[in-house]
Amino acid sequence: MDSKHAYVEETQEQMRSVKSPSGISIMWRELVRDKVALFSLIFLILITTFVYGISLFLSQEEIVTVDLFAIHEPPSSEYWLGTDYGGRDIFGQLIIGTRNSLSIGILVTLMTGLIGIIYGLVSGYYGGTIDNMLMRIVDFFMILPFLMVIIVFVAIVPKYTILSFSLIMTAFLWMGIARLIRSKALQERELDYAQASRTLGSSHLKIMFTQVLPNLSSLIIVTMTLNLAANIGLESGLSFLGFGFPESTPSLGTLLGYARNPQTLEFRWWVWVPAAVLIFILMLSVRNVGEALKRATDARQRRG
Amino acid sequence: MWKFIVRRLFITAPQIVLLSVLVFLMAQMMPGDALSGLIDPNIDPQAIEQQREKLGLNNPWYVQYKDWVVSALQGDLGQSFRFKMPVTDLVEQRLINTFWLSLATLIITYLIAIPLGITSGRFNDTLRDQIITGYTYIGFATPLFIFALVMLWLFGFHFQWFPTSGSVAPGSEAGSLSYVISKLHHLLLPAISMALITTVNTVQYLRSEIIDTKQKDFIITARAKGASESRVYNRHILRNSLLPIAAFFGYEITGLIGGTVFVEFIYSYPGMGLLFMDSILQRDYSVVTSVVLLFGIASILGALLSDIILSLIDPRIRIK
Amino acid sequence: MEFLEVKNLKVHFPIRGGLFNRKIDAVKAVDDVSFQMEEGKTYGLVGESGSGKTTIGRAIVGLNKITAGKIFFEGKDLASAKNKSIRKDIQMIFQDPYSSLNPKKRVLDIVAEPIRNYESLTRKEEKQKVQDLMERVGLSAEAILKYPHEFSGGQRQRIGVARAIALKPKLIIADEPVSALDVSVQAQVLNFMQDIQKDLNLTYLFISHDLGIVKHMCDQIGIMYKGRYVESGKKEDIFTNPQHIYTKRLIAAIPDIDPRNRDFQKNHRRDVQKMYDQSYHEYFDKEGLAYHLQHISESHQVALPHRKVD
Repeated sequence: MDSKHAYVEETQEQMRSVKSPSGISIMWRELVRDKVALFSLIFLILITTFVYGISLFLSQEEIVTVDLFAIHEPPSSEYWLGTDYGGRDIFGQLIIGTRNSLSIGILVTLMTGLIGIIYGLVSGYYGGTIDNMLMRIVDFFMILPFLMVIIVFVAIVPKYTILSFSLIMTAFLWMGIARLIRSKALQERELDYAQASRTLGSSHLKIMFTQVLPNLSSLIIVTMTLNLAANIGLESGLSFLGFGFPESTPSLGTLLGYARNPQTLEFRWWVWVPAAVLIFILMLSVRNVGEALKRATDARQRRG
Repeated sequence: MWKFIVRRLFITAPQIVLLSVLVFLMAQMMPGDALSGLIDPNIDPQAIEQQREKLGLNNPWYVQYKDWVVSALQGDLGQSFRFKMPVTDLVEQRLINTFWLSLATLIITYLIAIPLGITSGRFNDTLRDQIITGYTYIGFATPLFIFALVMLWLFGFHFQWFPTSGSVAPGSEAGSLSYVISKLHHLLLPAISMALITTVNTVQYLRSEIIDTKQKDFIITARAKGASESRVYNRHILRNSLLPIAAFFGYEITGLIGGTVFVEFIYSYPGMGLLFMDSILQRDYSVVTSVVLLFGIASILGALLSDIILSLIDPRIRIK
Repeated sequence: MEFLEVKNLKVHFPIRGGLFNRKIDAVKAVDDVSFQMEEGKTYGLVGESGSGKTTIGRAIVGLNKITAGKIFFEGKDLASAKNKSIRKDIQMIFQDPYSSLNPKKRVLDIVAEPIRNYESLTRKEEKQKVQDLMERVGLSAEAILKYPHEFSGGQRQRIGVARAIALKPKLIIADEPVSALDVSVQAQVLNFMQDIQKDLNLTYLFISHDLGIVKHMCDQIGIMYKGRYVESGKKEDIFTNPQHIYTKRLIAAIPDIDPRNRDFQKNHRRDVQKMYDQSYHEYFDKEGLAYHLQHISESHQVALPHRKVD
């Protein structure tokens, strides 16, 4: 009997952790102090404005129009990065492709984030049987060979559009963030401030979204940043396989897809190497920012 | 202990059922059915209709699902219309190839991860650690397919050290030494490409695990007792940090499956991943369904295995 | 009609286990407890950690599910759904001033939370009300735009009080309100709590493990051990005429700052401890739990086996 009492008391003790002040300002400080991360952030801002800015003046249709007189041109003053097998300008495709890859990466990250946050919050906040059931569903989704399932859905969806592509990606990528949010919400709901809200007459929904959610903001920002990098990679991978964007909407992966042709891979580096380098730098930069933010949330690893 | 295993099995069974339902529904959504592959288009539509009735394709979906499960359990996964042969026969050879590729990848993954992780964790914040951490940073940021492409370009085409497609040199006789060597030769580059990328997870896990363990009281005690540094690492820290990693291989299966799709596709390595890609491009859907089902079951069983091993190692997991 | 009546309250927490995670046993955090409270007075609930005193408080305020028994507030059953509105008459002050205030919220939002739930005021009226409340608990009205981490522990607890009195409740459950504070601040907060009690005609259920503080604050006292009542009565009953050996031991443990009494205290404590060890089995049953309460006077009840009373 005694030990049982002690156990209940002890777990309550552990949950009473002291909170650190405003996470966002710490994050910002850490970001500025970490030169690599700061450089990455500036690079990302520049490339985003550049890509979205320039693509205002580029016509996607013009770039993807086949020009049979200019097939596989090496880089020249007219075609800065040469042309592909359809005589299409690689540089233009690179700009539009980066824009498209970034857009879908951000879109999928936001959608998976939205679903994952709500799902994880509900599961962790209510706990108990609800949590148990919801987490079994997450377990199942986590275990699916999601790459194949996404490809199958992309292949069989009747009217395939960019929206349906991002919805399919979202449907199989929301679980990671849901799990993270859930385990943090499980801790938060035991804290006195959440309990206090109950006694003050706030409804469960209100507590979840106005009391607990703000306390998860650091975790959400970090996770979404790292997810963005992963989603850019996954989208380009799917486009590379031919199950992402259609060819009329180039993405960075589409350009890499041309390298599936051994001739292109071996002899026409200008078609695929710039896209490969760009994906790599994009993902590295986003991850650098994400890792710096992550360090900011963990006081032990903070540099400043 | 056995309680945990039984409880875990109670989770596994519905997962497999759910997976089969999902795969079945996917198959239903795919255009065409078992007959579109078999029958000559010149045959009279009435005959096809009769055939459909006979095969039970007009039955309600749950009856069809039951039939499908029963025949799948008997090893009948349908017919591939492209290869005009039973899917089961088609899959067999591919499965073996993928098995070897995955095994080689896993071995190389651990061969890289363990020394790097240990060095990095033991000498953290030294130059060596910074180099290794830098590698994991880059590894995390590199999509597997780009890395595999670069490796193929560099070592396959440019230096020509490795073959650029297939799983064995044509004409080599099965069972002979040269056959085995040729197999290994074909296997090595894809496996290394995959391992170099997937290993960064394990390196990072091992590193932080060792750094955490280093500061635990029982290690400080061991040092205070006068245990030598190498003894502290070999007997105390590694035993605690390595076991969970060894148990993770089951979870790795889900990741490996995604990896094999890319790597086999890029290296034209005739395994399940390439079979999947070829079949979906050719709309050979009965093969697609079977591959997804088999891979799904593989990752469910992999996770089951890892959970059980982990619970043997770490009793705390059993309580959740 | 009693102001608050707790009748045969039981709060059990299930212990799950076995193959299907079924309930296999229960922690009897509160096991058949009854008591009454008078309006405008302070009732002290005393016991060591794990004795169930906090659980009672949380059950009254609705944070812990009641396993069995009833709680009546001004004659109305708290468990009944149609009496939901009386919940606003019962508020709580939490033990830990650090975790009980949401670190991401401004003081304005923290104190205004109950007001927003029950009253519809304009932004301006609301701000005015929060500022009044802040002044009432002795904090500056300008501080309402600050975050909790900008305040000291004692100030945070005052914010907690401001939030608790925002709806003008009748009963406040104070769960160890000062035990997380520096000793120098404790007296301040306690005196201030007594001041607002007079001003607002509040009733306190004061939960504490510190008999010294309880003596200072409370009119009536209940002493708990392992989820059951050991003794209850008026402050004088408990402190001048303790009957149960557990109560005696608790009272003997109150520190005395007068150095001249040091030897006497030391011997006294040793005697009480000896008595406790010897007579433990007379006061507790086979499971080490207290017996049922029996009246020994109008106001004084003790948990003794039948033969002891005769």
